[in-house]
Amino acid sequence: MSTLTTGETASPPTRRAAARRIAWARIGAYVLLSLFAIVYVGPLMMLVITSLKSMPEFMKSATALPTSLRFENFVEAWEKANFLRYLTNTLIYTVSATAIYVVTAVFVAFPISRGYVRGAGWLLTLYIIALFLPVALIPQFQLMLNLGLYNNPVGYVMLFLVNPIGIVILVNYIKTLPLELDEAAAMDGCGYLRFVTSIVFPLIQPAIATIAVLHAIGIWNELILPTIYLTNKDYYPITRGMIVFQGVYGSNWPTLAAAVLIMTLPMLVLFLVLQRYIVSGLTAGAVKG
Amino acid sequence: MNNYHFGRGWARLAPYLLLLPGFLFYLVIMLGPAIATGFYSFTDASGIQGAKVNWIGLENYREFLFMGQASRDNYAALVRTLIFCFFVTTIQFSLGLLLALLVNQRLRGVNIFRTIFFMPVILGAVIQGLIWSLFLYPLGGPLATILGLFGIRSEFLGGQPAEAMAWVIFVQIWANLGITMMIFIAGLQTIPGDLYESARIDGATGWQAFRNVTWPLLTPSVNTNLLLNIIGSLQAWQLFLVLIGYRNGTQVLGYLIFAQGFGQTSGSVTSAFRQGYAAAASIVLFFLVLVIGLPVQYFLQQRERRILG
Repeated sequence: MSTLTTGETASPPTRRAAARRIAWARIGAYVLLSLFAIVYVGPLMMLVITSLKSMPEFMKSATALPTSLRFENFVEAWEKANFLRYLTNTLIYTVSATAIYVVTAVFVAFPISRGYVRGAGWLLTLYIIALFLPVALIPQFQLMLNLGLYNNPVGYVMLFLVNPIGIVILVNYIKTLPLELDEAAAMDGCGYLRFVTSIVFPLIQPAIATIAVLHAIGIWNELILPTIYLTNKDYYPITRGMIVFQGVYGSNWPTLAAAVLIMTLPMLVLFLVLQRYIVSGLTAGAVKG
Repeated sequence: MNNYHFGRGWARLAPYLLLLPGFLFYLVIMLGPAIATGFYSFTDASGIQGAKVNWIGLENYREFLFMGQASRDNYAALVRTLIFCFFVTTIQFSLGLLLALLVNQRLRGVNIFRTIFFMPVILGAVIQGLIWSLFLYPLGGPLATILGLFGIRSEFLGGQPAEAMAWVIFVQIWANLGITMMIFIAGLQTIPGDLYESARIDGATGWQAFRNVTWPLLTPSVNTNLLLNIIGSLQAWQLFLVLIGYRNGTQVLGYLIFAQGFGQTSGSVTSAFRQGYAAAASIVLFFLVLVIGLPVQYFLQQRERRILG
């Protein structure tokens, strides 16, 4: 869209008119974008403002700016809820499930992508139709119950060892690796396991980062499954802990807002660091797939 | 099959053995249970450990579809699911495309906008819900204050069912617009720039360039977005849980399944849940997804073949 650089053919007046039109289009774009941005940032700002207020201040006027910066709400939220425990639990669930998922997923995606297993096309189809499958909540629950994995952190982690979209993203990405790589490595006497672990893994790192980030976000934010499977407070992830906290402090918005911010910050920081992987992953998996 | 270079005999089994764990997880945790949902829909499973599960034939479906007030409520939930899907899909799709076109320009600061619009996806349903509950706080919250200037008073999420629904639709779109936008951006970036160049030399206006270059070449991401939005919104219900809870006049099918199968707020095993009934509801939702999703998928594929050859 290098609109301004190649205007030799246009006579000066039309060129000026075109430039003016582009300037207006640019202003229009900024105005529209800013309007949308307000809808996105506004609620967050409200959260920050509320978290710095005292309860009487909030009752007097919910929207007014706080008269002084007080961080007591954060201290109170941190002390009243067992957030350290919840955050630790969430971290353990997210890291362990994501690690196991990513390793097993590569060993599924690589032979499917290369056609190294019989029925590779069928296997891929099985993963693609996952989008249409009926809700599996009920039989999944019966299974976990009968395996004695109900209210069990290990059972809870097991629920997150699957993510069909990640497989599709990996399969598409692995297709971009040249086949000659396999031939050359095999010629040098490299075995299958060693080839995948020491050559394929490093080469597909961008795709791995993408599926890991997407999967981890899903586990971190999961609310329904902990509600169903975990009754022991000591096992609660942060999402469930937050809902319980809301149940107790539902009307105390300043404390609640502080708690929400405590929960939000790690995710925001992680996102800002990792966001390029999400974009590249969506490109690889969703559009070319 | 014969392009495998890493040995023969036993060594040929390596890819199968290493594929097995991941595939078994998929089978046991997702595919198997999804298929077993059909089986459970013919039983009176309760979710109590050790309780006998009896085969009761079509009883759950009869009750779900044909019995008294409850079935009328179920139809209402079904219609609501369709309404939710319609508004979420159309608005999210159009706004997502608009935003993608806006931030895909060479403008200063577009990356910041991109990040802002994608942010809610990272935050997840719990925080999305709490953020908007606060913003829509009816007693002098920001929106109540602004509307108050015009003399409008509203209970927002606590108001009439239709109004509460409208707000859930709004938050749902707010929360997921970033995904739709990103998929469109990814599609836009695959369109070669010289096509616009030649369109411009041919004297095409902005609209003509969009109509004849952008829109047809965007077909893959149009398809992905439409399908993801339709199926996603048919099955979505978490924001209903976080924003308004299980309230009469606002239930959608996904929430109904959860409420029947696991109780409304807690997952305690001590009380009996109607999991067979919930499984039947899951199958009804599944058919809804198929009845809408498959024709759309077929139509989109036909269109793609026509346009991209």
